[in-house]
Amino acid sequence: MSRRRIDWTVVALIAIAVVLTLTASAVPNWIRYLGQQAVATALASVGVMVLLRAGLLSFGQGLFYFIGGFAVALLDRYAGMSDAFVVVLVSAASAGVLAAILGGFLAKYRGIFFSMLTLAVSMVMFGIAIKIRLFGGSDGLNVGLMSYVGYRPRGPDGQWFSFVFCVWTWTVFAMATHFFLGSRFGRLIQAVADNEVRVEFLGYSVRRVVWAAYVVAGILAGVGGAMAAISARHVDAQFAYWTTAGDFIFVVLLSGQASVVSPAVGAFALETLRSYASALFPDQWQLVFGGIMLAIVLFLPAGLDRLIVLAWRGTRNIRLRRGRLSTLESRP
Amino acid sequence: MATLSAILVDAAVFSAWLFLVAVGLTLVFGVLRLLNIAHGAFYSVGAYVGVYAIGASVSMGWGTAVQLAAAAVAACAAGGLIGFLAERCVLTRLYGHPEPLVLIATYALFLVLDDATKLVSGAQSLYASQPRDNLGQIAIGGLQYPVYDIALIAVSLIVAITVWYGLNRTRAGRCVTAVVFDSEISAAMGINVPRIKLATFMVGAALGALAGALTAPKIAVGPGMGVEVIVIAFAVVVVGGLGSISGALLGAVIIGLARSVTVHLIPEVEVFSIYLVMAAVLAFRPFGLLPPAQVRRI
Repeated sequence: MSRRRIDWTVVALIAIAVVLTLTASAVPNWIRYLGQQAVATALASVGVMVLLRAGLLSFGQGLFYFIGGFAVALLDRYAGMSDAFVVVLVSAASAGVLAAILGGFLAKYRGIFFSMLTLAVSMVMFGIAIKIRLFGGSDGLNVGLMSYVGYRPRGPDGQWFSFVFCVWTWTVFAMATHFFLGSRFGRLIQAVADNEVRVEFLGYSVRRVVWAAYVVAGILAGVGGAMAAISARHVDAQFAYWTTAGDFIFVVLLSGQASVVSPAVGAFALETLRSYASALFPDQWQLVFGGIMLAIVLFLPAGLDRLIVLAWRGTRNIRLRRGRLSTLESRP
Repeated sequence: MATLSAILVDAAVFSAWLFLVAVGLTLVFGVLRLLNIAHGAFYSVGAYVGVYAIGASVSMGWGTAVQLAAAAVAACAAGGLIGFLAERCVLTRLYGHPEPLVLIATYALFLVLDDATKLVSGAQSLYASQPRDNLGQIAIGGLQYPVYDIALIAVSLIVAITVWYGLNRTRAGRCVTAVVFDSEISAAMGINVPRIKLATFMVGAALGALAGALTAPKIAVGPGMGVEVIVIAFAVVVVGGLGSISGALLGAVIIGLARSVTVHLIPEVEVFSIYLVMAAVLAFRPFGLLPPAQVRRI
């Protein structure tokens, strides 16, 4: 049996999840809540990242975030279903089905057409949601406590359970996305961004690749929305608003696209920034948000994880040079 | 019969507004090849400047014409200035970068400008309806319409003709067209390409601000008005074909008509009418009705 290379992304994902699970009871409630929001945002941002690898910028991922969140709320309210595993799967499925339908139409488009059409679709959903009673209008809906395979924890225990559940959901879906991106079909996504005509000449359907990327991104955003609903226990029409999708774009821009783990860093930074921003500068949130985005676009367009890659390369060069020097010195 | 005339007049009024909002966006796209999300912010900046200009002229005791002229000039100046700063400080560094990155930059610009206007003028709604009230009403087909709204149709036609004339019949306009076709060859022929891009962006921003200023007397000017505008303007521009002025005019007429028909006959679907038209057009003509020629990359 040949020795397989260790997949550091998988190792990192599992290590993060294990460490967070073990330390969860030691950190205060509000940090756990922050972490939950962060993994929800991070998973949706992974979807944005997948699309961005195909060269497509979606301003409409809020739509699937909305679908995922409201799937949880509506199941809880009308079907009495509050099992976390079931609601997450239903959210993923409903977001996936909607993405599959919309994707058939959107996969024809590229560049700004794609961006603005996704934006338009999610703004239509927002327009419907604030008018229709089923979705609670602009007030939104409350979500009850979740149960986990029949066990319904209460009080502080419930918060711990939902945190650990969200972290592991993030791990599982991020890992699945990682394997998808590493597969032959997943690698075509990058190829589409580089040169579509060549992909067609190689015998693959560009439309199917874009469609698949869109469906994957939709499912991820749907699961993200479900996790946001489970952790905040409230959903509203704002989920479908374009600023929600803007958050995901911000996260990907901040953290870069090196791996599926990257958005977690950006998402945690975003949630921390947001919770301090509401205290420090409540009315200038967009100004700060936009300012940071502009700064990144202008000075570090590859994202913060580029810094890590550069630092890694830098130290490797130093190590290599040292190694070479020592071999030179050891020569007779 | 009354319904028909109401539909037509409403469609004309709405189309005029749509064209005013969309023309700057399509102009900037045509020359710079970037979709400027910050256009929505230029619109709201223009609206605020318009409100202040009208307020100042009213307190000076000037007449309606001066109020409107002051609003238009002040908004164009403000839009041009912000456009200058945005192009010089941000966009000029990003030409040639991947499209998503440029789109993100204009989105960030939108956020910054939107909050900056809120910071300057507060979160409450402002009103400047004096010019519209003073101009009175006119009866068309048995229904009363504000003269101001009808006059905007003429204004938007004047803007359309001016932009068309400027692009097709002046030296500067021909330089712009040359840059659109091939900026490298234009540069080799001695055209100052960066200056053409800057000027086009400034004109586009000024047109966006002008649209805001002319809309200000009709609405409550408040935060968050720029978002809808960018989506609607994009719909108009896409239906007509991105980057084409006559396309924007065509798109404005089609969408204005669609909205006015649905408002009068089937009000339930009014919210979607714009998007339905856009989806229908794009399903058959993926690049709009009058698209500029495209080069295929091999």
